[in-house]
Amino acid sequence: MSVRALWIMSHEKGDSVSIRFARRFATVEHRAKRLAGSSYVAVPEDNTVLQLLLTELGLSDPDKPFVTLRDDCLHRQKSPALELRVDGPGKGVLWPMLAISQGPLILCCLPLVDAPAEPRPPLASLLSVSQGLTLLAGLQTFLLGPGGKPDSEGLASRLATLPSVLLQVCPLGTPLDVPQLGAPASPAGPAPAGSQKQPAWKTGLHRGRAVVNVALTETVRSMQYGNQSRQDLWDVYGTVTCKCEVEGVLPNVTVTLTLPPNGSPLQDILVHPCVTSLDSSILTASSVDDYDGSAFSGPYKFPFSPPLEPFRLCSYTSQVPVPPILGSYQLKDEENQLRVSVTLKLHESVKNSFEYCAAHLPFFNRDQMGIVDLKVSSGQLDISKEKNLLVWSLGQKFPKSREVTMEGRISFSGPSPGPSDPLCTELTAYIKLYFKVLDMTLSGCCVDQHSVQVYSSAKPRIVTSRELLSKEYFIWNSTGTAP
Amino acid sequence: MMAVSWADRISVLRHSPTRFLSGTTAECFLAELLRELRDDRASYSVKVLLVSPLCEYPTLLCPSDSVGEETALELMSVFAQCPPKSVQFRCHLLLALTSVLVCTSCVSSHSRVSQDFLELLLQIAQDSSDLQGDAAIRSFRATACDCLRELEACSPGLLFQRLEVLGGLRQQETSQLHQSFAGLHTLVLRNAVYQLTQEAGAGAEHLKALLGGNTSLSWDAEQDSDLMKNKDSAALSSLILGPMGTVPTLQTGPDCKELRSVLSSLLEESYLLTPLCQAALLHRLTEVVAMVPGVPPAVFRAQLLRLLGTSEVCLLHTTLLMKCAFTDSLFSAEDEAFILKRLVVLSQHPLLSTPEKLFYMACILHFPENRPISCGDGDETPPVLLTPRLASALVPTVFNDSATMLARLNLLSLVYLEEEGEGEEGRGLAYLYEHLTSLLDIVENGGSREIDVTFFRAAFLFLFYFCHVEHYSNSLMEKLCKLYLCHTRLAPRLINLADQTQDKLTESSWAVRLLRALQGVITEAPLAQLTLQDLSWHLKMLARMAEEGEITQHRTLSFLSMVIMPSSSSLCVSGDWRLGNSLLRVCRRLLVHPSLDSLLIPLADILQHLTCRYGDTDIQDHARLYYTLLTTLSRDKLAGVLAQASSEGGRQVKKRLLSCIMAESEGLTGVLTIHQTEKAIFRLIEAHFEPREETQSDTGSDRNQNEMETCPGEANAALEAYRAQFDDPSFASEITLNYRLAHIQANDSCFDQLFSIHLHFSLTDDHYEELSDISVPCLFRARPSPEVRVRLKPRRPYPTTLRASAIFTTQDGLSWLTVLPDIHVAFQHTFRPLPAPPAWGRGDKLSLFEGLWDEISSESEKEPADCATSLFCCQLKEAALIALVEKHFLPYLLSDLSDREEFKVIFFLAPQSHMLLRIRSEEDAVHFNITTDNWQLLPHISSYLVTVTSSQENTLH
Repeated sequence: MSVRALWIMSHEKGDSVSIRFARRFATVEHRAKRLAGSSYVAVPEDNTVLQLLLTELGLSDPDKPFVTLRDDCLHRQKSPALELRVDGPGKGVLWPMLAISQGPLILCCLPLVDAPAEPRPPLASLLSVSQGLTLLAGLQTFLLGPGGKPDSEGLASRLATLPSVLLQVCPLGTPLDVPQLGAPASPAGPAPAGSQKQPAWKTGLHRGRAVVNVALTETVRSMQYGNQSRQDLWDVYGTVTCKCEVEGVLPNVTVTLTLPPNGSPLQDILVHPCVTSLDSSILTASSVDDYDGSAFSGPYKFPFSPPLEPFRLCSYTSQVPVPPILGSYQLKDEENQLRVSVTLKLHESVKNSFEYCAAHLPFFNRDQMGIVDLKVSSGQLDISKEKNLLVWSLGQKFPKSREVTMEGRISFSGPSPGPSDPLCTELTAYIKLYFKVLDMTLSGCCVDQHSVQVYSSAKPRIVTSRELLSKEYFIWNSTGTAP
Repeated sequence: MMAVSWADRISVLRHSPTRFLSGTTAECFLAELLRELRDDRASYSVKVLLVSPLCEYPTLLCPSDSVGEETALELMSVFAQCPPKSVQFRCHLLLALTSVLVCTSCVSSHSRVSQDFLELLLQIAQDSSDLQGDAAIRSFRATACDCLRELEACSPGLLFQRLEVLGGLRQQETSQLHQSFAGLHTLVLRNAVYQLTQEAGAGAEHLKALLGGNTSLSWDAEQDSDLMKNKDSAALSSLILGPMGTVPTLQTGPDCKELRSVLSSLLEESYLLTPLCQAALLHRLTEVVAMVPGVPPAVFRAQLLRLLGTSEVCLLHTTLLMKCAFTDSLFSAEDEAFILKRLVVLSQHPLLSTPEKLFYMACILHFPENRPISCGDGDETPPVLLTPRLASALVPTVFNDSATMLARLNLLSLVYLEEEGEGEEGRGLAYLYEHLTSLLDIVENGGSREIDVTFFRAAFLFLFYFCHVEHYSNSLMEKLCKLYLCHTRLAPRLINLADQTQDKLTESSWAVRLLRALQGVITEAPLAQLTLQDLSWHLKMLARMAEEGEITQHRTLSFLSMVIMPSSSSLCVSGDWRLGNSLLRVCRRLLVHPSLDSLLIPLADILQHLTCRYGDTDIQDHARLYYTLLTTLSRDKLAGVLAQASSEGGRQVKKRLLSCIMAESEGLTGVLTIHQTEKAIFRLIEAHFEPREETQSDTGSDRNQNEMETCPGEANAALEAYRAQFDDPSFASEITLNYRLAHIQANDSCFDQLFSIHLHFSLTDDHYEELSDISVPCLFRARPSPEVRVRLKPRRPYPTTLRASAIFTTQDGLSWLTVLPDIHVAFQHTFRPLPAPPAWGRGDKLSLFEGLWDEISSESEKEPADCATSLFCCQLKEAALIALVEKHFLPYLLSDLSDREEFKVIFFLAPQSHMLLRIRSEEDAVHFNITTDNWQLLPHISSYLVTVTSSQENTLH
């Protein structure tokens, strides 16, 4: 349940690759050696590790079209655990190398295999693997920030603090915690008196006015084909994020999610580890089951003791009967012109008040746009000829009819070819919708302000909110083949 | 200034220890490090940096246990002098001490310093003076706890006796530190219970005593019975290993009140730990309960719902491990179905990261079933409950990233393979094939390199499972041929796919059929549109096809003759060397094709055409060679010349031959690369040592000189004459060691005959001058081993170790690098007879002996002096003494052997040291009176004398 070594590398396109941080854990290596016996493979020097890892991730030799070691069809990247094939005197296979990458960073670690090395034990029997994944994900969030957007200075300064961060979270190769974001919050004050033990995941105590903030965000994804032979798909998932400023070592808070009558039950519920107990009925509904109508449909109670920082209390998925916006997209090729016809319908159950709503229509593998002769029944159209992209901003509201249309023709007669995409050839094309609606959810799920219970002396201020967001919301051209 | 240089040096060390050590020795660097650590002027931030190499590379800096122990002592004293407020540095010191002590096995050997360190850690952990809740002190104590945990993890049973104390500390602690104690306590508990399972007759009483801290009761005699002595690694290994793993058990009967109460208290508080620590704790407790059948697994039940609902991957993973350990004694059939569904959901959950989802998919393929059908031999098998319907949530799509897509394809292939023959089969398989073709379409539309790689991997996976479904495998073949014509750059990938399917699916002929189909596609395509780029890929493909004995090659030949004819292309005129080379490569493979007889004439035509018309002389020459070979040699001889007679499974085995260097670029790199042997191939064996035969160009031999020759007078004159020889700095400055070069093992026939062996030596210390390389013409296993004389030029005549490596060539023309076993040069190997002037007789030498003796004896009384005298005594009978002198000292003996009164022996040690011995039998013992002009040699001579005299005693008693 330990890791033998840890590396953080940065890799930017066209830029050189470098090791930004490396740490080896000698005592864990000592155990690895004893456990593996004759099949022990030592960890090579950093540069070798880097090269082997890039080969395994398919990033080495970017100029060469085919390198057997990198591209062999036999080697399936059995990610998340890679095999590094070490050559030379210490020949052998280093396994299981965990690697995660985001943006310019590749983080990797080599968990200890605490089982007989031969035959190779299944990944699922090694707790060190899931612990390694947790550690890497924690380090990634710490280095890149919650938004995942790196700025090179911030990154460098956080990398510089890693030695002291690791002293706290992983001093000898056994991960104890993930690094805390931001300043090491210590409104410490005197140690809590009394017999109540302080949770290890709570860095200090809150003093002052009690405030509980509960935010519910639902995200909807969709693939609409407008085709009899192919069913449209959409799914919805929600997350409840909390920030609780409540006094006490281990204060009790309960948040309850409720559904409207006849609402379809919340499925696939996942909870934060600070949730103290769960009712078994909450977990029963699953998206891979048939819905039999008799399932538990709330209220969903989540008793927990909050950490100081904001956290995701729970997440769920839901099967809603209709998509919020139903679209139809039709393209016809007419003598170097494309006839476009789009209709978007807002479902009546959805609040007609957007924070924003826009449709993007990209065109690939064609020459640049020439004449664009399009009419929209509502909203505003922006044309970006260089990118072969139409952006149709629908503003805050659909018209009363709840339906908008776009009709017209585009000619592709520009001087140079537009962007290309291997997926969207010929009439394979899509519209991507971006929208956000405040104060509503598709599933109807909500957190009532009065249902939030806080068992503490002072009466807390409670703030709740909800919103609906789109993500990967595609409407495919029904006259072409959709992937 | 200093700080910068330390940071740089340490960063070099951390990135590349070998590069770092090429500039200094570990010994020097360690000494410098420790000196700087003791230096009060150095800042603590620098000192934190200084201890990091000790944490990361302790065995590099402390190569032996004794160095480790000394280093640890130094660090302990640095720790003792460090002010309490520099918490960070003190924490890092604790880590460095732990690393050094564990890795140099000071802990497992119970060295004094490791005991002291253990006491220190316990003291820090128990220090409750931080009532103010000082976060710094708390983190210091937490570090001490983690050091204790690591010590216990590396040496299970180390804290066996402290179990009860640690339990108490855990219960009392209310600050966050309780987490550290909980982790430590569970690990010690787990190891203690494991230890009990290993002891015959241990039972409930022992467990009770252990938990009550009453170890003295039953373990007085077993003070150090910890598992460290258990040489194997079983105690370090996880006990939960799936259906085939067996867990050692402790029979206690149902009454384990004490253990149960400890367990329930740990479990109750597990909620207060971070997910990572919680997972570790639950895993350890799972092991404990698995070892003690008296405790029902139901103790975990209260935690299960919380764990099953969690979003944390490591917590859910512990639940799976519990399921693996306890199967249906904790999880009902409904639970099992629920967990599997949960895994499927998690494998595609939009909020989880890709690595997490892939991990969950791996868990599905190794799902711990309550009643497993297979024996869990490590193969991927989907659980019975995973129906195609349930798995359909994981169908691959073109929107997946490459790793996810391949993992899903693999999983679903396995599921559909299980279901074969049942109604659902067709649809699922059809979907997978459809998916593969949409990937192929993307590749055809010009996807990125990543998509190419992914598609070919997906294609291989599909074939691996469904090659027997001809409908699909044939259709895929057709599509691949079409794809190749659009994108000839895919040639190496197609060849790779053919190679791998041929290797892995030995029963299937799919690869050969694919190659045949591609041959058709290539040779039938209109030549008019052929670009040079396409042609070079085509030739690469045709060369691969020519390796297949089952594929007829007429079409290939007619294609070749078409492309080189001037009417259809200007290829020959352009005379591109690479292209010519590719053409020749195809021809060369055709020369050894089994159907050569029928190819003879067209092939000869092509070769002749190339010989006469090709625009590159080199290509012409080679074409002429092949033409001559083809037309003059019989088939058998041709095969012999090209050494490719053997073929395996229709595909001829590649061999490297000088005749093909140019036609096979991959062979060329093989020949030009120096390969590295996995093991040592040969070594240097000490040849019989005969210093008499040593060639001494500068001195010559005087053995037969007349003893009665005139004496140069008194000892001083002899001394002067002798010393005068050393005016020439090269005089007697070398020693020659004789070795034989011999094979080590007899099992690898490709190393039977070695040529042009070039031996290179490197030093491990600075006592000798660099050695020059030595060449040996050949080494055959069947012939006597060649002699190798190694000339060493000492700076100081100390024992040493030489590293040796060699580059050599094997019969097949490959060059190899191998590392030889180290060569140990013992102290006695550096002895030489007295390099007296050649004209001297015994009398001269004896007077030189006396002169030297007197001079050294008088010098040794001055201070400081290099000279020294010493006395070595031992018990030897007279006969034994004579035997000893004859056996070991004869070349160095100056006095007459028949003169039993006193033996005068002189060892000359290059460059200018002497060791003079007067050996006398006194009444109580044999006295070796020693004088030397280099006192630093005394420890070496005395250990040498101990060795030779004790071996003499042994042989004569």
